[in-house]
This record gives sequence, C-alpha cells and structure tokens, in this order.
Amino acid sequence: MLRPFDLHRPGTVEEACDLLARLGEDAAAYAGGTELLLLMKEGLLRPRHLVDVKRLGLDTIGDGDGRVVIGATVTHRAVERARLVHERAPIVASVARHVANVRVRNVGTVGGNLAFADPHSDLATLFVALDATVDLVSPRGRRTLPLDEFVRGPWDTARAPDELLTSVTIPPRPGPTAAAYVKFGLHERPALGIAVVLTFDAHGDARAPDRHARVSDARVAIGCVNPRPARAAGAEVRLRGCALTGLEDVIAEAAARAAEASDPAGDMHGSADYKREMVAVFTRRALRVAAARARSAITGEREALAPHYPHAVIA
Amino acid sequence: MTVRVVVNGRAHELDVPSHALLLDVLRDRLDLKGAKRSCDAQVCGACTVLVDGLAVSACTYLAVEADGRSVQTVEGLASDGGLGPIQQAFLDCGAVQCGFCTSGMLLTTKALLDDSPMAGREDVLHYLRGSLCRCTGYRKILDAIDTAAHARVAPAVDDTPSPFRVVGRSIPRVDGGEKVTGRARYVTDAVLPGMAHAKVLRCPYPHARVRRVDATRARAHPGVLAVLAGADLTWCDPYFGPAFRDRPILALDVARYEGDPVAAVVAVDEATAAEALALIDVDYAGLPAVITLEEALAPGAPLVHTGQPLAGHFADLSTLKPEPGTNVCHRFRYARGDVDRALAGAQVVVEDTFLFPRVQHYAMEPHAALAAWDETGGLAVWASTQNPYSVRVELAKMFDAPLSKIRIVVPHLGGGFGSKTYAKLEPLAAALAHAAGRPVRLAASVTEAFQTVRRCSSRVTVRAGFARDGTLVAVDCRADFDVGAYADIGPRVVQKATYTATGPYRVAHLALDARAVYTNTTPGGAFRGFGVPQLAWALESLMDAAADRLGRDPVDLRRQNLLAHGEEFAPGDTPIDGKLEESLSRASEAIQWTSALAAGRGRGVAAMLKASIAPSVSEAIVRLHADGSVTVLASTVEMGQGARTALAQIAAEVLAVPVARVTVAAPDTAITPYDQTTSSSRSTTMTGRAVMEAAEDVREQLFRVTTTHTGVATRDLRLDDGAVVAGKQRLGYPQVLALRFGMSGGELIGRGIVAPGRTAAPLGGSTPFWEMAVGAAEISVDEETGAIRVERYVSVADVGRAINPRILEGQDEGAVVQGLGHTLLEEMVYGDGHLLNGTLLVYRVPRAEDVPDGLACRFVENADGCGPFGAKGAGEGSLIPVSPAIANALARLAGVRMRELPLTPERVWRALRAR
Ligand SMILES: Cc1cc2nc3c(=O)[nH]c(=O)nc-3n(C[C@H](O)[C@H](O)[C@H](O)COP(=O)(O)OP(=O)(O)OC[C@H]3O[C@@H](n4cnc5c(N)ncnc54)[C@H](O)[C@@H]3O)c2cc1C
Ligand code: FES
Ligand code: FES
Repeated sequence: MLRPFDLHRPGTVEEACDLLARLGEDAAAYAGGTELLLLMKEGLLRPRHLVDVKRLGLDTIGDGDGRVVIGATVTHRAVERARLVHERAPIVASVARHVANVRVRNVGTVGGNLAFADPHSDLATLFVALDATVDLVSPRGRRTLPLDEFVRGPWDTARAPDELLTSVTIPPRPGPTAAAYVKFGLHERPALGIAVVLTFDAHGDARAPDRHARVSDARVAIGCVNPRPARAAGAEVRLRGCALTGLEDVIAEAAARAAEASDPAGDMHGSADYKREMVAVFTRRALRVAAARARSAITGEREALAPHYPHAVIA
Repeated sequence: MTVRVVVNGRAHELDVPSHALLLDVLRDRLDLKGAKRSCDAQVCGACTVLVDGLAVSACTYLAVEADGRSVQTVEGLASDGGLGPIQQAFLDCGAVQCGFCTSGMLLTTKALLDDSPMAGREDVLHYLRGSLCRCTGYRKILDAIDTAAHARVAPAVDDTPSPFRVVGRSIPRVDGGEKVTGRARYVTDAVLPGMAHAKVLRCPYPHARVRRVDATRARAHPGVLAVLAGADLTWCDPYFGPAFRDRPILALDVARYEGDPVAAVVAVDEATAAEALALIDVDYAGLPAVITLEEALAPGAPLVHTGQPLAGHFADLSTLKPEPGTNVCHRFRYARGDVDRALAGAQVVVEDTFLFPRVQHYAMEPHAALAAWDETGGLAVWASTQNPYSVRVELAKMFDAPLSKIRIVVPHLGGGFGSKTYAKLEPLAAALAHAAGRPVRLAASVTEAFQTVRRCSSRVTVRAGFARDGTLVAVDCRADFDVGAYADIGPRVVQKATYTATGPYRVAHLALDARAVYTNTTPGGAFRGFGVPQLAWALESLMDAAADRLGRDPVDLRRQNLLAHGEEFAPGDTPIDGKLEESLSRASEAIQWTSALAAGRGRGVAAMLKASIAPSVSEAIVRLHADGSVTVLASTVEMGQGARTALAQIAAEVLAVPVARVTVAAPDTAITPYDQTTSSSRSTTMTGRAVMEAAEDVREQLFRVTTTHTGVATRDLRLDDGAVVAGKQRLGYPQVLALRFGMSGGELIGRGIVAPGRTAAPLGGSTPFWEMAVGAAEISVDEETGAIRVERYVSVADVGRAINPRILEGQDEGAVVQGLGHTLLEEMVYGDGHLLNGTLLVYRVPRAEDVPDGLACRFVENADGCGPFGAKGAGEGSLIPVSPAIANALARLAGVRMRELPLTPERVWRALRAR
C-alpha cells in the first residue's frame, strides 16, 4: 500500500532537474521503482512527489570512442541483452543477468541501482573494478565522477538532491582483458561480491592475450562487506606484472591481501571473520576463473564450465 | 490519471490514482483475482503478471506504468475455454498444490518459454529464482515446465499397480482446474457488500506495559468506522487459546512480544485504516524481556505471564501442568523401567544437546479473516483456517453464542503447515466486525504472519545407552521448548512429541522430561511434524554417534532396534502398523548405501515415527442425487495436500461413479459436518474413513431399495458404473432413487462417523495410526565456505496405500524441501528482542535451485493402515529425517558433528575449522 503522491513526468533532463530542485526534500527521482516503491510501502520513505526519469531519453546504450555508455534508465534486462555490451564488456552483461530476479531485472534500472547505493549492489562493485564513471546533471551543469567517488557509503552518494544520474561510462581496457565476478550469500542480495579484471600486455592480436602475456593491469574490487565497494590495492599490486602462466602461484597471496584490506562488520549475512575469510576464498576463485578465461581466449578453446559452488554465482 | 490498458486482450480505460499498485487495480477494479499478494517485496512472484510480455511484480509496480501497454494475467492464459499448454502441463504434472503460487508460476513459465523456447534446466532455475513455492518442493513445477517446453507428456509416477478403479490412481487433482485458471478463491478474494478493512497496531517492544491507548484522533479520522483497544473488549470474553486461554484479542495491560496486537482500526479501505493507526497514541512502559530459553529459565527471570492461566477448551489438555512462578507453562514427564540403572549398565552411552531454531511456516497466503454478524446475532467468518470447528468453539465461548450461531467458512487455503490451526486472526476480525457494524476483512501481511505463529524452537539433551550387541537399552531425554509469548498449542506439541522421543526404536528404559517455556517472542505453535523434528534431530544424530562408538554401520544399528510390525509402542498404545524395516531397506538401497562413494561425497540416514492426533473425530455425509451424481460433505480443509481429491476418489470408488460425478463441498460449519482438524496427517485416513463409511451407507441403502423392488438378495448385489447390478439386471442410480421416492426427486443420504475414544495409553488416547519415514542423503560440502550441497535425497514413507500417488509424491517432495529449509537456511533471528528478519528479503526459504536433482520420494504400501483401503497418514513424516540425515552425512564425510540448526555455511565452516 502506498501513500498518495504526485507523479511528474518530465520530458527532458532539464525539466526533471528543475522539478527536483523546486520540490526539494519532498521529491524523489523515480525510475523502475523497485527500491523506491518498496521503501515507500514500508513507510520508510514518504516523498510527496515522484519525478519519473524514464522519459528523458536516458534509456539507450551508446558507443563513445570505444567506451560503453549506459543510460541511467536502461534496465538490467536491456544490459544483459545489448550486443554492444556483449562485445565491449561482456562481464557487464553477464553480471546483469544475475542481478536480483527476472522481474526486478525487467523493471529495475542501472541508474536506480547506483543512485540507491545499497551496500549489496553487484553493479557498484563491478563498475569500480572497471573504472567506470557516472555522469550527473543538475541545473548547475554536468559533472563526471569515478564510481568510487560517487558511492560514498551505504545508501550515500555524492549526488546532490537535484542532480540526476544520467549515464554510466565504461572505458575501454588498455589491452586484452579477462574478467570475472563472483557473488556469494544466502539472502536476496549478495553477502559478498568480488570483481576481478585482468588486463594483459598485448602482442599481436590485441583482443586476446598470448601465451607469454603478463598482467599489465589488475583490478580487484570487493563489494558488500565494506561500507562501500573498494579496490584491494595490495592484491592488485601482487598481480601486476605476473605472467599468465604463473598466475596460480600468486593468487593465494593476492587473495589474502584482499581479505586483509577488508574490514567487514558482522550482520545477518555473517560474522566479520567469516566474511573476511570468504573474501579470500572468493577472490581466489574469481581470479582462477578470470585466468581460465584468459587462457581459453588464447587457445580459442571453449572455456571449461566454471565450477559450481553452492550459494555462489559466477558471472 | 487515466490509464488505457489492454488486459488479456480487452481494452480498458481506467481512472486510477498515481499511487495505485497494479496488483490492487487488477484485483479490486478488474476483479482479476488470480494474481496474489504474498511477500509484497518482489521476492516470491505470487503477484507476477506480464506487461508487454515481460514479467513484473504487480505488488511493487504502479498501475499508471501500464498505460498504453498490454497486461496478461493468469485469467488470460486459457484459450477458448480450454486450458493453455502450460496450464495443462501444471495440472498433469501435479505442479499445483495450494495454488497460491500457481498463477505467478504459470506466467513466469510463459515469459520464460517466450524468451527461450528451448530453455535448459540451468535457464529454468535461473528464471525461477524469484518464484517461490512453499508446497511442492519445486520438482513437479520443473517437470511441468519441461513438459510444456518440449510438448512432452507428464513423467510417470513410480507407483504400485492399483487393484482399484479410482483409488490408487494419479488422477489430476479435482481443484486443479480452478487453480490453474486463477478462479480458485481464497479468503482475501472474497468481497461482501459493505465490507470494511482492518489494520492492526502492534507493540514495537518485546515486553511492555500498555498504560493507556488514546484513539481519539484515530476515531475522528475521516473514513474510520471503528477503533478497538483491549479496554474496549468488555462485552466479550477477550481471551482465547487452545491450550490455555492466555491470549487476549488485543493486549489488555501487557504486550508480550514485538508484534503483539494492541489496537485495531476499521476503515473504508486498508489505506485509511493504515493512516489511522499512526494516529493512535499508546503509552508504553518497557518491561524486562526474556528472549532465549536460558533467559526464561533463569532463576528470578521476568515472567511473561503472571497468575494462573485459564485452561483451554480441550478436554485432554486439562492435564496441563504449569509451574507457577516460572515461565514454564507445561511440564511433561513420562518414564518406564529404570533409566539410571540401565544407563549405568550400558556398554556405550552417548549424550549431547541439540538446538532447533525458530522457523516460520511461510504459507504463501498470510492469515486472513472476513467476519460478518447478522441481525439474529449470528456470526459468519470466512477464515484461512485448518480447523474451522476449533475456531467455532473458540468464538462461541468468547462471544457467548450457541455453536449453531457461529459459522466458519473455509475457501481455498494458500498453504497451512500448521500455521493456520486454532484461532489466529478470527477473534479480532469478529470483534472488529461487531464494533463496526459491518463485515470486516482483516488480512495479515507476511511480516504479520511472522508475528502470528512460528515453530517452537528447542534445546534437547539426550543420553542413550546401548548394550555391547548394539541394543538400545535406555533413553533419557530432557527437552525444553520455547513456545513464545502465548501457549497456543505449544504445550501439546511438547507433550506429544516428547512422548515419541525414542523414535521408531524399542527401548525398555526411558525417562522423558520436557518443558514448554514462555518467552517474549512470536508464539510458537503447530508446524509440520508437531515437535517431532526437534526431537528426531537429537535422537537420530545420536544414533549415528552411537554407531561410531560401537563400530557399527548406522543402518544396521537402526535396523536392529526398530520396533516390529504389530509391536506396541508403549503398553496400551497402538501397535506399530507398518514395516519400518522395509522403509529402511528401501531407502538405503535407493541411496546405494553400501556402494562406493565418489570423492567428496558423504551419506547419512535417519528414521522417524510420529503419532497422529488422538482422540480423533471425523464425520461425513455423502448425498447421492437423483441423477446419480454425488456430493461429499466433510470439513477437511483443502490446503494443497489434495484432501478434496482423495475424498472424491474414495467416494467414487465405493459408489462406482466417475470422479467427475463427485463434488466435495468446501468446509462450512453451517453445512459440512464436524471434523476435528486438518492436521496431524489425518485427513485421508480419518475423514477419508468417515467418507468411506458414508458412501457405504449410501450403498447399503441402494441395496435395500433394490432388494425390496427386485427380490434379489443383498449379498448378490454389487455396484458397477453408476448402477446396481442384480444378476442380469442393471438398475441405474436414477432408477433406484425413483423406485425409492416414487418420483424423480429425493436423494439418499449416508453418514459416516469415525470416533476412536479414549484409551489406556499414556496420553489418554491412542494414535489411530503411526506415520513412519526414513530419509537418506548424499551430500558434498564446499570445505572453503562450509556450504553444504545435497546431491541426492531419498525419502521412503510407509503410507499403507497411496490413494493418489502423484499427489502424495508431491506432498513428500514438498515436505523434504521444507525440511531442507530449516536444515540449511531458515531461522528467525532476534536481536534485542526484535525480530531481525521478518520479511522474505532476509528470511530465506528454499528456491527451486536448492532442490537436489536426485530427489526421490518413494512409498511402502502394504495396505496395513486403518484408513480407507489400508491408507494411513502421510505428508509430515518425510520432513522429519531431513536434518539428521544431512548432519549424519556431514559427520561421515567431514568428521564434524553439528548440534545446531540450520547448518548455514558459516556454522559448518566453523565446525570444519575446529576439527
Ligand atoms: C528483491 C530484490 C533483489 C535484488 N537483488 C539485487 C542483487 O542481487 N544485486 C544487485 O546489485 N541489486 C539487487 N537489487 C537491487 C536492484 O538492482 C535495484 O532495485 C534496481 O536496479 C533499482 O533500479 P530502479 O530503477 O528500480 O530504482 P528506483 O527504485 O526507481 O530508484 C532507486 C533510488 O535511486 C534514485 N534514482 C533512480 N534513478 C535515478 C537517477 N537517474 N538519478 C538520480 N537518482 C535516481 C531514486 O530516487 C531512488 O532513491 C535487488 C532488488 C530487489 C527488490
Ligand atoms: S513478489 Fe509480489 S507478492 Fe511476492
Ligand atoms: S502450491 Fe506453490 S505455494 Fe502452494
């Protein structure tokens, strides 16, 4: 049951921002409503105005200079199915397929997920690992923020109340890349999400690493266990420069560093020490999956089916 | 706002407010009641509809979003009066039980198959992540999706060939058609003229004195019709409860748990009622609370109830023994032989303490009641209850009315599992309808269901002694059950379950001592298994520990100690009416107990024995109409278990008519005769027997009329295909009735009564039958995370005779998966006296992906039950061995003995690390 509100349906970003600015505290941007309406039903939020952001032309996935630009109101379903995403950032499509459930994916949007900044977001963790940025627009103009500056903490972002999130931009990787995202947990939302992105120095074919490839750039982002998704710098350093063939030797240490760097709090999802240990376990697993994907990209052989771990999803 | 929407192919133009949810508009404005509200949080899928072909949660979707779009609901799935292929597959495969999830499942399947027609198992599981079913255990739903996708026929059921025409055959359930088309009506689908809506204000503290309730502002709120607080209930007896009448309709002076109803509002609609709740001012004074058993049993602990509770309305509960001045509301003791001596002389004694969590039934339909008083002082309540006759007694007493003035009607029930036994919301709904002077609907949310009833949690310590040869010589069991803030039926759970704490084994010396303990938490009540899962968790874990110590194979050790067919369970009590040995052998063979294990796998078994309710009374009426069709009147509640189908099969068998000619009426205490309760796995056996007798009574009458008019002796008559056969003569039922009444009217009415009385057995009544089952699990464990995966699970239940094998198999699959829930996932968690996970977002029940591929439910059928055609109860038993079988498998695989459920990854991980 919802309390009454006025629904505004602006047709441009400017109008939407004006409305948000004018209505102030009383208004909330409304995209798919999968988070917002839930909170309103619970009585936890009581906005008197909803500003629908779905008619602002923010529902496209575009190509900008090798970047993938995902409009804020693109649904998870659309991301999962977009050819451009599959080509440029397949990991994003694959993670989109595993967000929430099919009904939430059909309605929920990328912008809504990020703007809500639930600490158990898959996208935020993944986008941090991918160096993604978000574009924000307000009557004062447009700004671009890296994702880890945008998400400040649980349900807390750098977005001003009258600012709209208009898009997420995923830059191209500097070389052939293999990535993996692993999440784990019993509840609706993940207890833990780990994104790893390994980029290799390119020889010859820039799309696939070769046998002698070394990790030129490693990204390890840990989500859900810390107040906000964060990169594990120590783990990344350990991986950088490592030969693809030698990755297995450093994976355990990199994972241990990732665990050390996280500072989980005990809650319904598990106690602090368990979560920290799971960071190590799933960082290892994610790295192994990414390494296997890199190897299969070289040999051209179809990647062996990723192992199935109970209560875990590998994207 | 104006919404132009095409719903199931029909264009509508509706004026709806922007805050209207699509679910409410479909249900209330367009009268499309197929989509249901359950979790209200996008988790369960009961509200699924398709918008432009995409599945959405109508519970969390603005109706205005449907403007310009096309919406499909379950009502639009059937084409030209016939069922669509998905509906047909669900019906054929037995994928429907209570039906509450069904419309969502059907539409999700449609979306899936539209998306990917060749969907493989992995795609299906991925798609079903947001679609919960609490009844079926998902197996038959997966079968149905497969069947629909590949235009196959429904997979066969592994059953014993039946010597009967209708009984023993897997006919589709008789209420399947209405359930797959969304026409089945549940309480919240009913609308009465002038109906108003109620909302409840619940105590936000675990324990508080309610000093004052000021409803002045709420009463003045436009649209409010009545407000009630405890102090207003002077015109009736405000207390109810089956064991003790310890629960007031609304808190009188003290609120005893977070969620205890304190006041309630009736208004023109739910939204207004909800707004008015915020205008009620309650002055609470916090009281110290006891949340855990330890706290409640500590010397000098704050008392949840002070003063002597009033006895409830069951004669056999007059034996309840509260311990005044403590939180113990009942203590049950039973001993035989000399346990201390026997333990002292035992070769091996194993002892341990086992914890069972508070778990939530999560019947997908939350509790609901619609109450209306009439001009004559009569009260009618449409209620989501498993036992209308208990509710009737309760209301008659509270409102000082003759039983005949109280009418309880039960439409379809969206799952029960024990949560809907005995009065729950009905007294409050009746009081509110009285206050408002019009019909009032009170529909709980799922969160309120978490605040209404749960399983009694427990701490059970068992000492078991074995002789050198493996004979179980003595069991000493001490059990404390947390029954929450009100006793409900908790004391009875404690007593009955503890009485069978020794499980299916012969034990000469035993001492059982159990306590039902009040705490400031949601009341604990009946839940599938009625306390036995808690005790079997302890005993069956210890059986394996003992096997280890004795160097014996766990299956052998059990076999050696099993009670034999015909052996008395206790002096004067019902002899064992099944072959436990056969179940154990079947289960261990099916799991390939003696064959080599793959690396990383472990196997475990567990057995169980459960009594049904005693004494146990059922009555039935069978009416044979002038055209030869049949009406069965009985008050067993169809809650998904297939009772209506079983009763129809039984009547059809006896009267030699097709099932399609038999109608089983819905329970209505004004019409359908007395039935004690739909619980304790008793319906097919006890109500079924009453129906069988009633049908036989009709048959005798048919014979008598035929004999009178033809002179053929009764012993030479038989029934065949709707006719009495007298030698070469065939008299169709219409003819016989015409002979009897001299015209083509009138009907034959048969009566059946089943009423085994009190006996010398220790509990005062002997169970009419025993429920017996064995479970065997093969598991693996992710050693790094502690997550258990059940690879295979076999359940074998001794059912005497399967009246409908497919429905029975579905019952047991559902039971096993519900067992997987409390074994691996489920627990109501309290922090500072507050329930932390009272929503489906954080209370995790099994999903389709959690069901083992290798799940097999099998039956032992020796026609040795006391029910019709040798049937006996089923449906609870298979849940009970799940936890110990899995824990035993883990112990054998990884060498860790788990003592606390659920076996969450973290708990197992800790145990593995402590090795
Ligand atoms: C049952 C369930 C399970 C879930 N599981 C997962 C999971 O496994 N992993 C995961 O990552 N997520 C999960 N989610 C979250 C899901 O991804 C989000 O609900 C969804 O993406 C939010 O999008 P929306 O369009 O519905 O947002 P809305 O509910 O419309 O909005 C959410 C918030 O963002 C604001 N907002 C929306 N759009 C904008 C914008 N363009 N600019 C500024 N502010 C904006 C709104 O004001 C609101 O505060 C789950 C959600 C549910 C309900
Ligand atoms: S998903 Fe809407 S009621 Fe559960
Ligand atoms: S049949 Fe699925 S919830 Fe009852």
